[in-house]
Amino acid sequence: MATCGPQPERKNIPDYEYIDVNTKPFHIGAFRDLWLERLKPSDYSYKEEDEEAFEAEFANEFGLNAETVNDIKSICSFDALRCHPVDRDTTVVPPDSSLRTLRQRKRRQDYKANLKINTNRHELYAEELERLTVGRKPAGEENRIPEGEVIITINIYYPTIFERFKYVRPHATLLMTGSHTLANLRDAICCVSDLQVCGEFSNTPDIAPDFISKDHYKSSFFFLEGVFYNDMRFPECQAISSTTIEWAKSHNFPSYQQAKMEDTKFVDLTIKVGFPYLYCHQGDCEHLVIITDVRLSHKSDCQDKKLYPLLTHKHRVTTRRCTVCHIYIGRWLTTNDHFAPCDPCLFCDKCFRMLHYDKHGNKLGDFLAYPYVDPGAFN
Amino acid sequence: MAHCRQLITDDCEDLLARFQKTESVRFEVFAKIWREMKFSEMFYGSTEVLKGKTFSQQILTTAYRYFLPPYTFQIRVGGLYLLYGLYSSQLARPKVQIQVALKDWEEVKKFEKDAAQAQHFDATYILRKLFSQHAFYFAAMPRHLSKCQKKRNEKESVCEEFMERASRPQELVNNELLEELSNVHEHYERYRLSKTLVHPDLVPQIHQIVTDFTNWQFLVVSSTQPDHQGGVVSSLILLFSPQSSQRAELLAAIKSRSYGQAVEASKSRRHRQVEVHSQVPQRAPRKPSLKSRTDTILFKNVPRKKREFKW
Ligand SMILES: [Zn+2]
Ligand SMILES: [Zn+2]
Repeated sequence: MATCGPQPERKNIPDYEYIDVNTKPFHIGAFRDLWLERLKPSDYSYKEEDEEAFEAEFANEFGLNAETVNDIKSICSFDALRCHPVDRDTTVVPPDSSLRTLRQRKRRQDYKANLKINTNRHELYAEELERLTVGRKPAGEENRIPEGEVIITINIYYPTIFERFKYVRPHATLLMTGSHTLANLRDAICCVSDLQVCGEFSNTPDIAPDFISKDHYKSSFFFLEGVFYNDMRFPECQAISSTTIEWAKSHNFPSYQQAKMEDTKFVDLTIKVGFPYLYCHQGDCEHLVIITDVRLSHKSDCQDKKLYPLLTHKHRVTTRRCTVCHIYIGRWLTTNDHFAPCDPCLFCDKCFRMLHYDKHGNKLGDFLAYPYVDPGAFN
Repeated sequence: MAHCRQLITDDCEDLLARFQKTESVRFEVFAKIWREMKFSEMFYGSTEVLKGKTFSQQILTTAYRYFLPPYTFQIRVGGLYLLYGLYSSQLARPKVQIQVALKDWEEVKKFEKDAAQAQHFDATYILRKLFSQHAFYFAAMPRHLSKCQKKRNEKESVCEEFMERASRPQELVNNELLEELSNVHEHYERYRLSKTLVHPDLVPQIHQIVTDFTNWQFLVVSSTQPDHQGGVVSSLILLFSPQSSQRAELLAAIKSRSYGQAVEASKSRRHRQVEVHSQVPQRAPRKPSLKSRTDTILFKNVPRKKREFKW
């Protein structure tokens, strides 16, 4: 092994920097090529392999006759592992198992049954997400994710704006392909601070949606491996990382580089898997971004390009509902409002308008109204 | 979660320890233990989609480790069968794939080659079958990494009982080397002038060092295993004694033992369990040491009186 000499591709074979935490940096495109070099196209093909062809090839390769292969096949069949008849109920934990994992599962289920907890909403939601995308085939061949494409799994963490987020780390999980750019990722990140509307709109409630922050403060950046990737797609975008770069320069820190988000594809990136990176938008809304996995696409993946970036997990935040109807999510916050039972008070759009305006949309009475975006608005 | 992972590990290691005791690499033998332990039930009652998926992921990641070095060939075959069994009996739909890391690929291919060369067609077939079923994700790492999942003090330990004992020193200083050295030395002695080029005791010294190492290694093991005494030193001394052809056979025998013994299986009975060692006395579970394996081979073939050191 010592005689093999220098192996430049070695550095693109991901290995741990810290065991079970993160890898050393590697180039995603080079990583993909290393896999493709090592595999046969049939290994990562989306096509189901024909069983007979498989056996014929096996016989051929090892010079075995059909009878021998048949013997091997029956010996190695999954039936040899069957513990019960096929129709056995698999939803119940067997009561008398010698497996430790099962004994513990049984205890936990009995405990839960006592508490009468139903399947929680996170679970149901996850099932919903899954059902929509599994094995989805695209409408046209041009929209199919090509075989051998890389799939990147990314966790985006919510900013720690709530006290309770110190203990749980709510996040969304997205699947991206190697041909996506960082700008595609930026557009896929839903954050309430992008939807925030600043100002008092009691006189002109209809124009409030025109003032969404996302449309006003378009600048944002990712910070990965010493490079700031700025969103420069719109004329009003600023490289908001410049301030940081200048500051670092003036304080004798190692210099940072800048690049454009929209020009940077994932295949061109050198990253560490498991390492926390930064996404910053709206000036100071900061999210941790962790690439948790990079792999070749698989036939069970959603193959419709159009559905990517694909959301596979989303933390559900409890929503605040309208004080009047208790049904809809709050959209308006009022103060100095003599119609309201409390101050400030939260209304859904319907109740807010019914209570505060006449048929012709004229404001009734004196109050201040601020658009409110619930953190759970994306659930 | 961490606790759950430990229980999964314990269950898998129980199964593999029972497989290890059989000293077989046959799938039939593995399947029998699997059925006795009702290992398919592992997935029962884990009905919720998300939990079922997470559990499949966890147990496949756990089993994957036994399929790789530093574990012995036999344990790795067991690890492969375990992956096959778990992958096939999981209840998650679509099935959760086994995540194989690029850095491990070379070992997987080497394993495939070794198994095929030793004509372990059941292991080869099952590995190929998993490939053709697209049971693998070709990934960067064997599992997803997100710092938030890492708990303090949570470290994956390696199961020592499943490992090959270090044998590099013994391999490095083999008989040929010793013979060669002693030849060179003789030549030199014959022609030497006034000074000695090689220390006259070099060969015995190297031999002594390796013997010492073996002694030490044995002592380390026997301190945790009081029921084993003596034997190994003499068997290793025997290895170094110049009964060349016999020694070569013994060495070959020992090497093939580490490959799960079934290399010896003839083609016609390769699917049946090879019962070469039915006369091995029942040992304490989980510790079929090099000593006991060596003993069985050596003392079966060699008359006892030859067991002295004759350098
Ligand atoms: Zn944000
Ligand atoms: Zn309402």
